[in-house]
Parts: sequence; C-alpha cells; structure tokens
Amino acid sequence: MLKCVMSGSQVKVFGKAVQALSRISDELWLDPSKKGLALRCVNSSRSAYGCVLFSPVFFQHYQWSALVKMSENELDTTLNLKCKLGMKSILPIFRCLNSLERNIEKCKIFTRSDKCKVVIQFFYRHGIKRTHNICFQESQPLQVIFDKNVCTNTLMIQPRLLADAIVLFTSSQEEVTLAVTPLNFCLKSSNEESMDLSNAVYSEMFVGSDEFDFFQIGMDTEITFCFKELKGILTFSEATHAPISIYFDFPGKPLALSIDDMLVEANFILATLADESSRASSPQSLCLSQKRKRSDLIKKKAGKNITGQALECISRKAAPRRLYPKETLTNISAVENCGSPAMKRANGDISEVSENSVSNTEEVPGSLCLRKGKSEASLNYRLKKSLIEKSLIYGISIENS
Amino acid sequence: MRFRAKIVDGACLNHFTRISNMIAKLAKTCTLRISPDKLNFILCDKLANGGVSMWCELEQENFFNEFQMEGVSAENNEIYLELTSENLSRALKTAQNARALKIKLTNKHFPCLTVSVELLSMSSSSRIVTHDIPIKVIPRKLWKDLQEPVVPDPDVSIYLPVLKTMKSVVEKMKNISNHLVIEANLDGELNLKIETELVCVTTHFKDLGNPPLASESTHQDRNMEHMAEVHIDIRKLLQFLAGQQVNPTKALCMHRICRSGKKTLLFRVETNETSKVSSVLGDETIFL
Repeated sequence: MLKCVMSGSQVKVFGKAVQALSRISDELWLDPSKKGLALRCVNSSRSAYGCVLFSPVFFQHYQWSALVKMSENELDTTLNLKCKLGMKSILPIFRCLNSLERNIEKCKIFTRSDKCKVVIQFFYRHGIKRTHNICFQESQPLQVIFDKNVCTNTLMIQPRLLADAIVLFTSSQEEVTLAVTPLNFCLKSSNEESMDLSNAVYSEMFVGSDEFDFFQIGMDTEITFCFKELKGILTFSEATHAPISIYFDFPGKPLALSIDDMLVEANFILATLADESSRASSPQSLCLSQKRKRSDLIKKKAGKNITGQALECISRKAAPRRLYPKETLTNISAVENCGSPAMKRANGDISEVSENSVSNTEEVPGSLCLRKGKSEASLNYRLKKSLIEKSLIYGISIENS
Repeated sequence: MRFRAKIVDGACLNHFTRISNMIAKLAKTCTLRISPDKLNFILCDKLANGGVSMWCELEQENFFNEFQMEGVSAENNEIYLELTSENLSRALKTAQNARALKIKLTNKHFPCLTVSVELLSMSSSSRIVTHDIPIKVIPRKLWKDLQEPVVPDPDVSIYLPVLKTMKSVVEKMKNISNHLVIEANLDGELNLKIETELVCVTTHFKDLGNPPLASESTHQDRNMEHMAEVHIDIRKLLQFLAGQQVNPTKALCMHRICRSGKKTLLFRVETNETSKVSSVLGDETIFL
C-alpha cells in the first residue's frame, strides 16, 4: 500500500520517467518498497528493461506499507504491492509536464488495494483538484539480475554527447553499434543493416576519451543494441541533469545505462547481440526473475535481503503525519454524518493518541493498522479535519462507494 | 574516377547545406554532376519534352578550398552520380559548426560518397563524424539527357517579386484551383491568375523590372504591354518556391513560345553569383 506526495517540480521528473519507460513497454509496474517507489517495465521481447527508483527523500511525503499475511506455520510472508498499470492509462496523465510543473501545488499518489486502484490527484491553485483513478492488474513485478559493478567497461558521459550522436542516425535504423578501445569511443550504424539495404547511409562518430567524465575500458569491445530505447533514456537524463553511466562487457551480455542522482536512480538494461561464434538472430533475453519473496532476491546493488516491515512512515516534514489506515476512509464518512458532537469527542481522543504516537513511531502505528473497526479516535486530528473540510466544501465523497 | 573536395569556411558550408536542403525538398533522387570547375545538381522530371526540370550550378571555387577530380576518361572529364537527396542533406545537417568537411568518392562494399566532418568539441580532441552515402554511377550513354537546358531567347523575361510573398500568394491560390496562369510583360508587370467557374482571382505585381534582352532589335516594335501567358500546375510551382531557402539576389522568370506553339517557363534564381538554380516548367494549357 502506497501513499506519496510530490510538488510540481518533482512531478516533472516523475512524468519524464514515465515517458522514458513508455518507450520500452506498454505496461508499467508500480513497486513501492522501503527503498522508495520503483517504476519498472520490460518490453515484449524481453530485450529491454527499465527501472526508475525514487528514493523516499525525493518525495515530500512517502509512506509505504506491506500487508503482513499471517500464515499457518507462523511465517509472515510479506506481500508487496503487485501493481501493473497500462501505459495507455498512465501516460496521458503526465502530459504537458511544463504546465503541470507551473500550475500544481501538490500531487498525491496512493493505492487502494481493496479496489485494485491507483489514485493520482493533482491539487491546483484555488482549490481545484483533479483525480484519476486507474485500475491496476495484480502482477508480480519483474526484476533484472544484473550486477553493474563487475562489468569490464564503464563510461560516464554527459547526456548532451549522446544526444548529438543520436542525431546522426535515421529513425529507420534499428540498431547501433558501440565500439570502444582504451583510447576512443565510436558509435556507428550496425553493420548488419547497412549490408542488407543498399540505400542506407552508414554513419559513424568517433569521440575522444577526454570528453567523458569517466572512461575505463577493460578490453576492446564492439556491442550492438537497439536504438529506440536510447532516445527515451536521453529525455529522462536531460530532466535530471545527471550524467549517464554506461556499463557493458562482451557482446551478448546486457548493457546497462544508469543515471544516479541523489534522489533518483534509473537503470535501463538492454540486451546486446551475441558474438559471431554464438550468433543468435535476435538479442538474447535478459535474465529476469519474479519476486516470490522479497527476502530471497539479491537485488542489483544492495547485497542485503529486504525484509518487509509491517509499516513504514517516512516523512520530510516535522509535523507528524500519521499513517493512513484503510479503515480511515470508511470512518470519515461516518464522521460526516455524525455531526459536531461526535467530532468533538473524536478530537479529544485523537489529541491524546497523537502525542503518544510522536514518541513511538514504529509501534503505535503498527497496532493501529492491524486493528480493524477502530473508531475515529485513532485518526490524526489534523489530517481528518482537512479531509472533512474538503469533503464538505467541495462535495467530494471520500468514502468507499 | 576520383573526387576529393574540402570545405573549411563556415559560411560556404552553410550555403552548401541550404542548397542541399532545397534539392531534398524538390525531389527524392537527384543527379550530381562533377566537372573540373563546377558542381551541378540535376533533377529530371518526366516532362513532356523529356528535358531537365531543375538545374543547379555551383562554381566550385566559391565553396571548396580543395577540389580535385578525375572524370571517367580524359575526353569526358566529368562524373555523373545518382543519389537520394535526403541522405546528403541529413549528412550535412550534422556538419553545422564543423571545423572542416571533406567529401570524397569511395568504394566500400559499394560506391559511396563519403562525407567526413570534423566537429569542434569542448575538449581538445575533436569529434569525427563520417557518413557513407550510397550512390549509383550513371553510364555515359545517359549523359545526354542530363545536359544544361538551353535557354532560348525568351519572349518575355522579368524579375520576380520577393519569393516569400509570391509563395504565400500561390499557397492560398492552391486551395481554389489546380492551375495557375502566369502573365508577364516587358513593362515590369506580372500577374498570377486563377480561374474557376465561380471565381477568378488575380494578383498584380508592378514595377518589377526586366532584365536586358539579348536581341533587342527583334523586339523593338513589340508592344511593351503585351502580356505573355502560360498555364502551369500550381503544385509544381509551389514545390519550386517551397524549396527556396537561399535568399536570392536575383530571381527571374523567362517565358518562351517555340515555333511549335509549345510554351515553356523558366525560373532562375541566383545567389551572389555563386550559385544558380534554374527550373523549367512546361505549359499545360487546358482547353475548356
């Protein structure tokens, strides 16, 4: 279960990530975890994988909880949010990013697992609110097992350089070849294609090693990969203003393009054409695995296993923004109907609870979540009040329909 | 056959790129003719008389710092190549802000025109970009179809108004009719006219000036105000006008009636006397 809040400029970066991933695939996994919110996608031929991880500090407010399932043999299996969205549903929401950045005050994304919906709300000035409800499919997100650090060749470049190189190639060319030696770097049209089409222009660009921020080549390599995904990655990198790192090895082994800002980490893994001797007609599929149990997976960078926690509440603001139990929603409608006396009573109770909660961040919220049918006293006063006000003024129903 | 040329000057490179863009807009394939002192872009359209529809001439000295060529043979010291015009213009597009541009004829798996650009970059080392554009060598027996159109003495020749203005007028007229009548006289007046059943629209241009005629004597007794007219396909005219990216110093239109009664219209655009583009449009008089 996820809840996060972003400001206008953060939405722009988020939107650019969605746009970059849309070039890879038609489906997107929303995968929140303790490390942050990850957007993952894989293309239909399993030859390209993209993942953009937004760390919790990227958001103004980030809250994630996994449902803890009590199984019979007393092993708590933590179920992550298995949320797969269609790109057609989510991409139009993040259109016109420049105007979004200027006009919105806040963007809230939260999930309602009981209804399999992701809700994206944009709060504009003058109290205007735009809400999108997107249904998601339950599907386990895929992850690529790829360790960047063992690659023999590593490059770090400014996105501008890649953008200049991309201009050279026509959109009809599907594949490009990257050839490196310890001294220089060359991006050229794939030999395969230019041999077949006698009308195609063969282009190549040589760049000296001193134009790179980091240039470490273990061995002379020539790899060929699909060009289409590269363009998507470039637009995202221009939004983050961070250099792109390229990790690769011998032909056949995937290539990783990585952008690592303090707040956002993006990884795009592309399959490459295998070598002459073991030539496959198409790029080999990436090694993918599904997340059965979080604890079992070895993630790309982090060695440690992830253990689910019952609840997490990470917030930038000083004010205690409590977690948001599912029951909250049903309770609010009850409060609305009750009228003022009930509210007062609730207020009284709540203030006490809040003070307690401040000291024990982990324990109290945990108990709150699991207890079902708790009265409105468990709600945070401030949060509840603002919700009620909004619902009364704007006539928006917050309850479950 | 050999050909090597190099451009170093930015302005020349810019001009060459714009001409190449103009050619790309006019036709998909074009012929490049290389001779010791000139470079020509030739477009062959299927005209009724089978002639050249566009002829562009560039004085090589005005563009290239180095220019070496060796034709097919000693007597025929020329090279005719056929290429996709868009390939060349796209290759040149990457050459903006280049330190140097080299073009040469090579044979890598198949005959190519290799465009090699040395780009300036922020660091000390420069980037080298190479494009191999596939070409077809045109055999000598087909050369006769690709000669410069003979410009016969025109009946009327007139300087054109600002091409941008003319283009916007013709574009609006395109929506009404497919055929345009161009009338011009020796008094500096040009009319663009379209006629349909419902409406007739004419745009008049005055005081345009006429270039001096070659043979003055035969035309002395001619009525200066007599309008010579030609019917042409509006889309072809628009194609020619749309391609004009280079700001010309001189643009003129020549009208000629042959003995057979066939009328031809020739447009010529010159820039600083370094490049000349001539486009021939045949008459398509419609008998109603």
